[in-house]
Amino acid sequence: MKRFIAHHELARDSRFVRQDNVAATVLSTLPDDVDKVVEMFDRLTPIIEVSVRGTAAEPLYEEYGPAFGLVTLNEPLRPSDPAVTTRLLLRMHGIFVGELQALEGAGRSLWDFPDAPWEFKMNMARQCWDEARHVQIYEKLLEHCGGTVGMFPESSFLFECACADDPALRVAGVNRGLEGLACDVFRDMIRFAEKSGDEKMQQAIDYVLADELTHVRFGSEWVKEFTKNDPARFEAAQQFRRQVDKQFSFGGSRSDREDAAIRIAREDRIEAGFTEQELDELTEVSSGGPSRETLRKAAEVLRIKHLARKAAAEKQA
Amino acid sequence: MSETRLYPGTGKDERTSFAPYSAFEVPADLRELHGRYDVESMARRIRNFRYAEEWMMMAMGGWVATIPEIPVKTGLGKIIWECAQAADLLGKRLPELRCGRKAVSASESANQGFADFVQAVTEPERPDQTIEKLVGVFDVLKPHLIEVYERTMLETDQIADAPTIEILDEIVRKSRRHVAWAQEVLDRLCDTDARRERRRARAATLRARLIACGGVTGDLAAGSA
Repeated sequence: MKRFIAHHELARDSRFVRQDNVAATVLSTLPDDVDKVVEMFDRLTPIIEVSVRGTAAEPLYEEYGPAFGLVTLNEPLRPSDPAVTTRLLLRMHGIFVGELQALEGAGRSLWDFPDAPWEFKMNMARQCWDEARHVQIYEKLLEHCGGTVGMFPESSFLFECACADDPALRVAGVNRGLEGLACDVFRDMIRFAEKSGDEKMQQAIDYVLADELTHVRFGSEWVKEFTKNDPARFEAAQQFRRQVDKQFSFGGSRSDREDAAIRIAREDRIEAGFTEQELDELTEVSSGGPSRETLRKAAEVLRIKHLARKAAAEKQA
Repeated sequence: MSETRLYPGTGKDERTSFAPYSAFEVPADLRELHGRYDVESMARRIRNFRYAEEWMMMAMGGWVATIPEIPVKTGLGKIIWECAQAADLLGKRLPELRCGRKAVSASESANQGFADFVQAVTEPERPDQTIEKLVGVFDVLKPHLIEVYERTMLETDQIADAPTIEILDEIVRKSRRHVAWAQEVLDRLCDTDARRERRRARAATLRARLIACGGVTGDLAAGSA
């Protein structure tokens, strides 16, 4: 078995549909400019269209066009929202595949770095079991909310962004970037479950969040250990984490901005070993990108263009 | 009145009057001293066992990403952790067997043949090779390890080497569960004659290699794998 695999080599059964990662990655590069957002999504339309075919996202695409993600995932989750079920299922499915990729990332860390210290292997092996349980938990929660595995396309960009070939960068990306994002998302999900009175969801995710803190802690400790006496490598790991944090902020949707869909879970992150300085950096790198108002306006322009294109195509047919 | 002696003195007449405490004999301790392995050879065996557990853990970690069946991915997640715990327990025994404090992470293949066998087990990587992946670990290597661990438990000094027995006993208990899980998975995956043949052929090839190299400890008698 070879060492180091690409994200497109992650094996899936026939229920899954892959989404081109460019759609997820591009959000972190967008400026706060309606025209630029529209232009970018216009360019991505063929890719998005292909990836949603035959999935539960297809009706969303038909209704909202290529920017359906902007009006679903990038909006906060509120029990009173009329579109709450769609948003919840999209998010739940996104978390499910995220946990799957986290399991795969932890597993690959065991195989890709055979000469790593034993304690590192122990931590990664433990993380494999934890992530496997998280996959099982989110599969059940997805069903609990009325969804099914494979109902939405999967983007493997979490694995692509976080799984570096250097173990110091890998733990910085997976254990601090990806698992840090999980802390933010899960704290938000717990709040949602509390508000909607869903005790089953609230309790299950609370346990998952406790595990994630442990995984971030693994990352915090191993970045230090792997980069001991090597300030250049430490800086490279920190730089990589900043880059991953930027990508995982989805253009400010996960940030400390007032209009963020998901806020940074500062207290959880502090408990997991992030320093105040690192959190200030995260606040800074995640706050860029288009505002929610810009995204809403862009989504509306894209929806109108999409409906016009559809009408023209129907007329021609 | 003569005082009851609470503690024996140095002379014959200065013994206490307490009867030998019969509870020590109930139940009778039938264990006998002396086993097949001395400290040094047991330490070597443990390094051999640790090598197998560590490599199984690493291989399954690598496979999780290239196995498409979700319940197999998640099932392996727990087994990876339990193999890591097995390797960890074995490693912690090594300093207790005069291998030095740094020996906790020492793994050693009995010979090049066993190392090559392990590489053959880890070879499959394509997503359509779940059967080949699982057969190597769960139809061949783990059953072999269970057999060797059980024999080691019987053959080693039951009193002097009891800590090793306790560790192996725990590993065997979990390994049996792993094999039973994989048996169900493989029975489900091998649902055609062609797939059953793939399972049989892969197991036969690997078993032959395992026998040829003498198994995990290098001293396996032919025909016993």
